[in-house]
Amino acid sequence: MIIFTLRRLNLLLFTVLLLTLLSFSLSYLFPGDALINLSGEINATPAQLAILSDEYRHQENIFMQYWAYLSHVFSGDLGISMASHLPIIEEIKILLPATIELSLAALLLAMFVGVPIGFIAAIKHEKLADNIILTVAMFGYSIPVFWLGLLAILVFSIQLGWLPSAGQISLLYEIKHVTGFQIIDILLSDSAYKWQAFQNATAHMILPTVVVALAPATIFVRLARTAMLEVLDKSYIRAAKAKGLSFGQIIYHHAIRNAMVKVIRDVGLQFANLVTIAMVTEVIFSWPGIGRWLIESIYQRDYTAIQSGLLMLSSFIFLVHIITDFIYAALNPLARESNHGA
Amino acid sequence: MNLLDIRNLSIELKTANGTILAVDRVSLSMKEGEVRGLVGESGSGKSLLAQAIVGVLDERWTVHADRFHWRGEDLLRHSAEERKRIISKDVAMIFQEPMSCLDPTTTIGSQLEEAIDNNQFSGNFWQKRKQRKLAAAKLLHKVGIKHHEVCVKSYPHQLTEALCQRVMIAMALARRPILLIADEPTAAMEATNQGQIFRLLASLNQLKNMSILLISHDLENVTHWTNTITVMYSGQFVEGGTTRQIFTQPYHPYTQALLDSSPKANMQLPKKSRLAALPGSIPILQHLPIGCRLGPRCPRAQQACVHAPKVKNHHGHLVSCHFSLKGGN
Repeated sequence: MIIFTLRRLNLLLFTVLLLTLLSFSLSYLFPGDALINLSGEINATPAQLAILSDEYRHQENIFMQYWAYLSHVFSGDLGISMASHLPIIEEIKILLPATIELSLAALLLAMFVGVPIGFIAAIKHEKLADNIILTVAMFGYSIPVFWLGLLAILVFSIQLGWLPSAGQISLLYEIKHVTGFQIIDILLSDSAYKWQAFQNATAHMILPTVVVALAPATIFVRLARTAMLEVLDKSYIRAAKAKGLSFGQIIYHHAIRNAMVKVIRDVGLQFANLVTIAMVTEVIFSWPGIGRWLIESIYQRDYTAIQSGLLMLSSFIFLVHIITDFIYAALNPLARESNHGA
Repeated sequence: MNLLDIRNLSIELKTANGTILAVDRVSLSMKEGEVRGLVGESGSGKSLLAQAIVGVLDERWTVHADRFHWRGEDLLRHSAEERKRIISKDVAMIFQEPMSCLDPTTTIGSQLEEAIDNNQFSGNFWQKRKQRKLAAAKLLHKVGIKHHEVCVKSYPHQLTEALCQRVMIAMALARRPILLIADEPTAAMEATNQGQIFRLLASLNQLKNMSILLISHDLENVTHWTNTITVMYSGQFVEGGTTRQIFTQPYHPYTQALLDSSPKANMQLPKKSRLAALPGSIPILQHLPIGCRLGPRCPRAQQACVHAPKVKNHHGHLVSCHFSLKGGN
């Protein structure tokens, strides 16, 4: 298990290094001056530029430049935004938690809904329930997310008026920014209207979460169905039947765990997809997350913001990847051993 | 009284091109305390027959039988669920490739514990847990695993095939079965381990009077451990009788060929001569011959063999052949 952990951390380190390499090379690949792209100081005077050039070691060779960039990134300096002239790290600190909140909530919703439905479909294989589930899943997967988002707003916010259509929380509530995660901040705050604020924030979350979760949930349905069908065909299930266990016992004690092992493997992969959907959804629901900010930065040609935002977002996705790998190892004893696991 | 009495059991596989009769009217009976060998080439339907008895075939297969008695009780009158409940109470089965028959993500201990019947214990649930642990350890001792503490905590992939098979036998014993069906228990195992597993089964048979249905493709090996033998070929009954009858004087050409095909130490063979074997191979399910399925390969086949022969009984030695080696039909 220690070797497994070290290997994963090793992987994390090298992937982050590769990502910084990519983001560093972007400063050269984007139009304009590399130094200005890196630092974001578009209105700098020649004197300021000279100081910056010294800081980023732009007179030296490319390796020293990369090294200087790395030390900037790891000391928390990602430059300033070309559009707002604010330090990017501060903006990301506010925006990234909102995205994490939305995407994790959507991931959990997709898993808790999709996986059990997939299992049910597998257990009722080639019966009516299976066909209905597959049809609905196909339908759900085919709906474009921007259209679904607009439909959801149209029906639930405008016609029925049940749920708010935009933002993270009503402006009435003033929540102090502590961790950046809205829900945690509300629970930490000592406001008298804490529970009303909590309800309001939850109501704001429902629509975007459901919209983001729909497509991944349908993928989980199909993944879980395939995994369960495969497991139910294994000889240990037949042996368990011969042992005299009931069908329920077999499903709960043996089938679900083995099928989950297969599903968890793919959750990490699906997460990147989910974050992409979340970015589009953030724009539709005016969710103050990093996705919307990134898309706006692309429109404004804010190169500094784009490269730093990409770096942070992909690091986050990769971190989730590593975490799912750990869950996988916890579920699967075969993966924990160095000679079996990858 | 017969423990198990099966008459004309057929197993059909439903495919897109119609149904295939995989097992064709096979009869089998077991007495109490008997060790019966079920012998045939791979693909002759031995495993299917065993799985049909235990009731673990999936819905692609349909099973018919004229008679299915368990300890004098007619099981055909019960529903499939009820039948499986009665059978799984007294009949246990161990499979080939034991490692794949154990859940890879659960420890041996918990898999063993769940096989133990709850009503063997008394007292409250915390007492039961302790008793359950103890019972699991005892079962492991019974099958000759001394270090139960290590074994209970390990996962199937950490044990050898032979140890896994012992664990499977321990699980089978957990329900205190009257009949144990062993489906090629030593396939892909070393000779020493094979011997150990067979000796273990033999001792269980002698000490607990447990009947064993031993399925194997190795006639030679099976004769050491069994009282009676049933030979199958391509889903049809071939010959049945006591081990001595089958081994010393087989009536069916197929059994004769099986015996001839096993090389002996004192065999005088000229250089580069072929070993005795039937020509061809066992037919695949999609292209089964009509009548006696051995027909195309049989050295004694004649025109009458396009009709399936009736089973003839010669003093308890059953044979299904038109032109059996008995002579003077």
